[in-house]
Amino acid sequence: MGRLALVLALLFAPLGAGAHGGSHPNAEAATSVEAKAADPGTPDLAYELPVAGSYDLPPILRVEDHALLGSDGERAAMLGLASGQFAIVSFVYLGCRDPAGCPLALATLVRLDRTLAARSDLASRVRLVSVSFDPRHDRPDDLARLREGLSPRADWRFFTAEGESDLLPVLADFGQNVDVIPDETGETVALGHVLKVFLVDSSGRVRNVYSTGFLDHRLLIRDVETLLLE
Amino acid sequence: MHRLRMALCLGLVAALVAPVAVSLADETCQSPYLPRLTGQEDFVYVWTLGVEGLGDGSDKLVTVGVNPARADYGKVVSSVSIGGRHEAHHAGFTDDRRQIWAGGLDDSRIYVFDVHSNPEQPKLVRTIDDFVEKSGGVVGPHTFYALPGRMLITGLSNSKDWGGKTALVEYNNDGEYIRTMWLPEGAEYGYDVRVKPELNRMLTSSFTGHKNYMRNLGELLGDEEAMKKFGNTMVVWDFHARKPLQTLAVAGAPLEIRWALRPEHDYGFTSTALTSKLWGIFRKEDGSFEAVDIGDIGDPAKVPLPVDISLSADDRFLFVDSFMDGTVRIYDVSDPRKARLVHERVIGPQVNMVSQSWDGKRLYFTSSLLANWDGTGHEDAQYFKAFGWDGKALAPQFEIDFKKEALGRPHIMNLGSAGS
Repeated sequence: MGRLALVLALLFAPLGAGAHGGSHPNAEAATSVEAKAADPGTPDLAYELPVAGSYDLPPILRVEDHALLGSDGERAAMLGLASGQFAIVSFVYLGCRDPAGCPLALATLVRLDRTLAARSDLASRVRLVSVSFDPRHDRPDDLARLREGLSPRADWRFFTAEGESDLLPVLADFGQNVDVIPDETGETVALGHVLKVFLVDSSGRVRNVYSTGFLDHRLLIRDVETLLLE
Repeated sequence: MHRLRMALCLGLVAALVAPVAVSLADETCQSPYLPRLTGQEDFVYVWTLGVEGLGDGSDKLVTVGVNPARADYGKVVSSVSIGGRHEAHHAGFTDDRRQIWAGGLDDSRIYVFDVHSNPEQPKLVRTIDDFVEKSGGVVGPHTFYALPGRMLITGLSNSKDWGGKTALVEYNNDGEYIRTMWLPEGAEYGYDVRVKPELNRMLTSSFTGHKNYMRNLGELLGDEEAMKKFGNTMVVWDFHARKPLQTLAVAGAPLEIRWALRPEHDYGFTSTALTSKLWGIFRKEDGSFEAVDIGDIGDPAKVPLPVDISLSADDRFLFVDSFMDGTVRIYDVSDPRKARLVHERVIGPQVNMVSQSWDGKRLYFTSSLLANWDGTGHEDAQYFKAFGWDGKALAPQFEIDFKKEALGRPHIMNLGSAGS
């Protein structure tokens, strides 16, 4: 049994034992993350990727390197890039239930992580950064468990904020919207947001923004290859 | 509780590492990069040309209440004037639906409205008045098409000769200029743009330059030389690289473009204003595209002048408005190579734009084309009309007389929600 399966079995055992007398179905689903990500060839793209270096990625906007709370509980710069490095930044939250939202972003990042780990020419040049925009619920311990569950093989860092006042300047900087969606009692049941993933260079310039329908690890890799040829 | 959240999160991620078909698109005409408004819309935002001597005479964004469950149903909820007349024409949401960018075809100004803080009462928050200078001479910002974090804008003309040679221009959502991409040689004219993300393909269409679209239509039609200065091409682009790949011959000013909305459908449609034809743009086996004439719109000899089209979310019905006869024709395009007319109805003089709800049950129509083209050969009526659609016939719901309300000439519509 692999590390991910062990962690997930421990994580979900109480839930599974109560309802099913065995492993929780979500745990079973989660254990398949690694196996499925080992086959990054699916699904096929319906188009040929443009050749690396044959197109431009002009700067779209500039962002600051904000200090946030890492999954180890320590405050650190969320990008922390050395010259010539790139960050692929996603905003997610653990409570997201929209399959075309955070889970899609994380699934793409899992594929990207595995691809980067297998590319010695890129692994040291790209950092994945996932920031929770639900700091009230997603604390460093939760992100540490998420990290465990996803078992990154490349450089993938997870951050949350001390509180909303820490988070809002980050969201404003990236132009990432978040809307609180309450239920009938006023309790927050979801955080509405447009899925965006940002490719940032070491000067803090956003060089591309990806969204549903155009979020693919092969495309992200091609863009990094293009920027490395600049 | 936290463990349950974690389990659900990882479960969803695991499910998505397997191939996933994500349904794209919005209430049918919108960019696929917008959050979709699938239920009952509350408002229609109407970008409206000012008319001298009518009300304040200014271009304005008019908010119409369209939800039967609300007290403002069928009424003008608010209007925001921008001061002066700029040939208000097209407008579009940013990728988060928080703002509407609206353009003036005459002086190339762009107006950005906040429709998020108070969806009932949009507020003008930014004016971009150096579009021509920043873009390197592009004139007539037309289509406003949301991309992630950006706005893609088509031009209609240029500041060098005010003819039809033009470009695509990108801005970020903060209103900062990013880049200009000129249309390729032999296909220099521009009009609309639409992206099919699954295919990494972008289509552009072609109209005419400032010298023509700002001219009186009667005069223009009588000027043989000027009438040669209309676009007859569409361009297929590699969207990601923003590189033109192929020029398609589509005679007679192909205007609005609608890609099929189902992810598995690899074709699109347009209509040509001057030749009154519907065209299908089909992907061939080798990945290139072909433009195919799939039917006449009314009697082309009578020049009905088709202006706007709207495709239903299931890719079955194509609604086609024609300006000169004030008629909407509804085609069954289940077989996209054979458009079959299934219903037609006169909406009113100079019907122009048509927008439909995502569920296809409600359609909205407006009347104005261009300030100097309205009223040519027919009454200069100005209206917003709402209809129901049951798959067989249109049923009138309500209408607003934009003249009587002293508002102006209503053109493009964007559907909004009170909770947006």
